[in-house]
Amino acid sequence: MRSQFGDKQGPDIGDVVARVGEMSRNVTGRFGSGLALVILLILLWSGAYKVGPGEIGVVRTFGRETTKMGPGLRFRIPLVQRVDKVNVEQIRSISVGFRDKQPVIDEAQMITGDANILEVQMIVQYRIIDPTRYLFRLRDPDETLRASAEVALRGVVGRTGIDDVITTGRERIQDETREWLQQLVDNYESGIRVTGVKLQSIDAPDAVRDAFHEVVRAREEKEKLINQAMGYNADLIPRARGEVRKIVREAEGYREQRVLEAKGDSEKFDATYAEYRKAERVTRQRLYLETMERVLGRTPHKVLVDERLSKTALPVLPLGMPGAPASGAKP
Amino acid sequence: MKLGRWFILLAVVLWLSWDSFFIVDETELAIVTQMGDFRRRVMRPGIQYKVPVLQQVDKLENRILVSDTPPAEFLTLDKKRLVADPITWWKIKDPWLFLQKLSDETRARSRIDDIVNSELRREFASHDFGNIIGNARSPLMEQVTLNTRKQTDDFGILLVDIRIRRADLPPEVQDSVFQRMRAERDRVAKKYRSEGEEEAAKIRADTDKEKTILLAEAYQQSQKIRGEGDAQSTAIYAAAYGKDAEFYGFIRSLETYEKSLGSDSTLVLSTGDGLFRYFVESSKKP
Repeated sequence: MRSQFGDKQGPDIGDVVARVGEMSRNVTGRFGSGLALVILLILLWSGAYKVGPGEIGVVRTFGRETTKMGPGLRFRIPLVQRVDKVNVEQIRSISVGFRDKQPVIDEAQMITGDANILEVQMIVQYRIIDPTRYLFRLRDPDETLRASAEVALRGVVGRTGIDDVITTGRERIQDETREWLQQLVDNYESGIRVTGVKLQSIDAPDAVRDAFHEVVRAREEKEKLINQAMGYNADLIPRARGEVRKIVREAEGYREQRVLEAKGDSEKFDATYAEYRKAERVTRQRLYLETMERVLGRTPHKVLVDERLSKTALPVLPLGMPGAPASGAKP
Repeated sequence: MKLGRWFILLAVVLWLSWDSFFIVDETELAIVTQMGDFRRRVMRPGIQYKVPVLQQVDKLENRILVSDTPPAEFLTLDKKRLVADPITWWKIKDPWLFLQKLSDETRARSRIDDIVNSELRREFASHDFGNIIGNARSPLMEQVTLNTRKQTDDFGILLVDIRIRRADLPPEVQDSVFQRMRAERDRVAKKYRSEGEEEAAKIRADTDKEKTILLAEAYQQSQKIRGEGDAQSTAIYAAAYGKDAEFYGFIRSLETYEKSLGSDSTLVLSTGDGLFRYFVESSKKP
């Protein structure tokens, strides 16, 4: 408006004066309409709102839910409509049995199925899937979730034996707790979906903790003993197998040796025998003499006794001293 | 003056029309009364009409509410003591009845606490400790919920659920439980240790046995193989030497002389026969 007015501002000074007079007369009316305009703008401005990513804006018109708005810039009728924004994608979590890494004993302590006491810590992850229920059906959904988580966890642990809880039952406890917790919060119309239940530490109370750790040590010791024995086995058996192999191979070698030697010996015999058959007497003589020649050639001490002497008196020779009789016998 | 009267009239008309409507939120219930007399319930949210000035509106909570009853000690069927912390979810079902009987939430809570506690006391007294902690807990709590629901109906309350948030042993009992747990753990630890020794001994014994068997089998096999070697060689020798046993004896004897008589031997030889026959009687013709 003001800019329009400015455009029409001509060079004629008289015209300007006339317009100024008219303006001063209408100043209250202009002020009123300006104020109305500003109020209108403020109302429009206050009616605009932004629904962020992952959020849903639940619109109540005169107190009753009329619509839900997805992400983006939205508008509501001021004074008549109210909007509550709920993030339906964000994964939230609560802890049971501890806060900020500090254990909360009262909350963590629970009785197992065989009347033992354990301290269990758990994290529950959840998401709001039904904003209407979350906002309007349950006054304190977060407190409800916390209480229900305790109810479910204690219920499941309460029907599980202590050894199951601390060793193999972990997965099952998580699954059953999640399932039961979901049933409970559905029953209370919380609009919450439990996406995960994760058991953190499961430990014995202070008063008996050392006894529990002793069990862990004993179990490790058992494993150690077994492993040592397995080591003994792993050490001994391959060695024994090696030895077996050696024994068998040696025997096989022996067999081959015996057979080959026998073959060699018999082949040698066959060859000699074939020659021998051609001239038995001469060959026999030759073989005998050749052998004797080699044998006698190698032995330096020889005593030759005349056959006739030996029949009358046996000469006494100092056979123990090989050097002496040689000189004594020769003459 | 005239203008002032108009203003007053306008204000009255505005106020009356303003007072003819009321808004019930999603989270609320409302009842309309006229001079203290019940007129109607408003169970749904939205904008509603009423007679201005004459009629009043009371708004009540329409959401499910949580009551965390303080923990109390209970006695079980097997005369054990148990500290239980019940938690109750409820909502206002009939706002007019609720308003008449209890008037507000605080009184409703204490009323509910009383009923829940007495119902729990009754139900716990007819179950063993182990069942309350364990498998019977769910059906037991359903029973308590049903019984309590019957009574809270009269106050315009819908009892949604009752649960045991925590069930603990009284501190004096805890000590004896800890003692028992300790003894139990000791037993388990001992069991693990002796199991370990048992397993290890078994494995070692099995190993020794396996080794002995392996070696014995090897011995058996090797003796068999050696026997085969001996047998085959014997057969070969027999086949060859069997052609002329006498010649074999001759040849073998010669070999023996050659092998057994070395440079450190002393030979005493006779001229009687054999080699040195000619040494003495060179001229004699045989």
